[in-house]
Amino acid sequence: MRQFKNMAYPYMIWISVMIVVPMLMIIMYAFTKHGNDVATFWFTFENFSYFFSDIIFINVLKQSLYIAVVTTLICIVLGYPAAYIMANSKEKNKVLLMLLITFPTWINMLVRTYAWMGILQDNGILHNILTSLGLEIKLLHTDFAVILGMVYNFIPFMILQIYTSLTKMDKSLLEAASDLGADKVQCFLRVTFPLSLPGVISGITLVFLPAMSSFFIPKLLGGGQYVLIGNVIESQFLTAGNWNFGSAISLIMAVIIMISMYITKKIESKNGIEKGRTAN
Amino acid sequence: MKHNLKKIIALTLSIGMAFAFTACSSSNSGDAGTTAQTEDPIAKYGSDTLKLYNWGEYMGDTLISDFEEQFGVQVIVEYFDSNEMMYTKIQAGDSYDVLVPSDYMIQRLLENNALQPLDKEMIPNLSNLAEGVKNLPYDPDNTYSAPYFWGTVGIVYNKNNVDIQDLEKEGYAVLKNPKYKGKIYMYDSERDSFMVALKSLGYSMNTDNEAEIEEAYQWLKELNDTMEPIYVTDEVIDGMINGNKDLAVVYSGDATTILQENEDMAFFLPNEGTNLWSDAMVIPANAENPKLANEFINYVLTYDASYGNSEAVGYTSSHQQVMDDMSGEGGLYESNPAYLPRMGYEKDEVFEDNTVLKEKLSELWIKVKASN
Repeated sequence: MRQFKNMAYPYMIWISVMIVVPMLMIIMYAFTKHGNDVATFWFTFENFSYFFSDIIFINVLKQSLYIAVVTTLICIVLGYPAAYIMANSKEKNKVLLMLLITFPTWINMLVRTYAWMGILQDNGILHNILTSLGLEIKLLHTDFAVILGMVYNFIPFMILQIYTSLTKMDKSLLEAASDLGADKVQCFLRVTFPLSLPGVISGITLVFLPAMSSFFIPKLLGGGQYVLIGNVIESQFLTAGNWNFGSAISLIMAVIIMISMYITKKIESKNGIEKGRTAN
Repeated sequence: MKHNLKKIIALTLSIGMAFAFTACSSSNSGDAGTTAQTEDPIAKYGSDTLKLYNWGEYMGDTLISDFEEQFGVQVIVEYFDSNEMMYTKIQAGDSYDVLVPSDYMIQRLLENNALQPLDKEMIPNLSNLAEGVKNLPYDPDNTYSAPYFWGTVGIVYNKNNVDIQDLEKEGYAVLKNPKYKGKIYMYDSERDSFMVALKSLGYSMNTDNEAEIEEAYQWLKELNDTMEPIYVTDEVIDGMINGNKDLAVVYSGDATTILQENEDMAFFLPNEGTNLWSDAMVIPANAENPKLANEFINYVLTYDASYGNSEAVGYTSSHQQVMDDMSGEGGLYESNPAYLPRMGYEKDEVFEDNTVLKEKLSELWIKVKASN
């Protein structure tokens, strides 16, 4: 085994160049500001205090968290049954269902989001159908449109994670449970569901993180007036040219994400202990 | 089996040979063609590849292919959708031969010594430039830049739903008229929205007076909080063609397109003044191929190339004759009031670059959008 250790070096170099160095640069930018001719930059907490002192930015952060949480919950509620049905269908259908779920991801995300713009806009297909039914509702440029776009784009990640954990499950546990007198509902609640939790949790990670930081979905489906934290970061780098403040916000995001990862890890390891017990 | 195998080998061989022959003949004819038409581009320009960095959807359909054919060269085109995006790439050290930035961005590039002067001997077509777009403040005698498109920023409105008297009486403030709540597209950039607000308040759009900027910020915030505007950039074209909204702040070139496609729409330039903008071709200091770049700029300023560009995109040509023909009798944009820019109006201004101000406006703009 030991000789294979050397094969990890290319990856280690890759990681340090592509992840660690940029991360350090972001940290450096976040804690500095442009100085004068003598010192090109100096150390400061100003970028952070500016963020937290302005209620507008706090509200943007809250709104981003809200959208990400709602998106994740909807993805679980819709994705779990889909994954469950998939895992319990015939082998032939499994392939077909898998194809149907991954099929949209073959097309660029941006293009798919643009398509939704056409469907939801005033005088668009869905809007026209609703209007002819007597329902005059604004669809595009609303919370609904943004959440719809996010769920649509990110739900495959949730379904595939749950599906994988469901198919890996040892089916004999279910037989044992029913031998011991558990009905179908009990089987699901006490065996299947706990065993699929790791899949749900990695699904949450895969949906929550991009939903939190996406900037083009809110921009396209929410309209330019729909500002989430990703949009603030984008504008700091691309239009304001204030890389220091942009980096500070990115770092704040990174901390929030790290905390949420830590919490999910905690839940997962707790679950792991339970799993160990059931296996015994 | 054996027989079949032989057949297959024979077939493959013959196909392979056919390919070899066609390859030979085509390369022969290609060489002959180019040498017959022009001199070897490598001998003449030092290279046969031009790197162009232009706005998306900003060129005539055959501009690049015609240039490639005529000069026996290859053009690599990349697109940007904002000056800032382009600037970020230039700052990162990327090398291009020709860029097409806007007025204020040319000023900033000049301040950074990022441009090289045009070789005017190679660009005799500079004499074709239209009066109103020549010698603008950012480059007083066109030493560094050759204008490409130009125009104004105004309001496109739906004639059936908007009272022209409201527009004439209120100017930009019509965007805050409660009658049109939920019917408004604003342009999603700090530069253009602050222009609207500052002009409406009667200030210069290049002001750095803090009180005036604060007032403009409140103006925009009030608009944001009370009028339910939608902030868009290029989507405004489709949106207004489809008649989704009644009022929109629009670049004159986009307005030309909208008016061509939807006859309910009209164009209005408020008396409070506007942004007289222009985009121009420049050659970066680190261009690998300045000679070919000069040749390309000269080519774009020919009548045919300029006509093709303006015809395809709808923006006002920098070529005097093209502009006159298109807006004149029988021209493509004869009855299109958005095509011909307003010239010599004292309240119209050219945007100046001010990095400190820009950062401030950009921050205020994200706050405007994020409020409520």
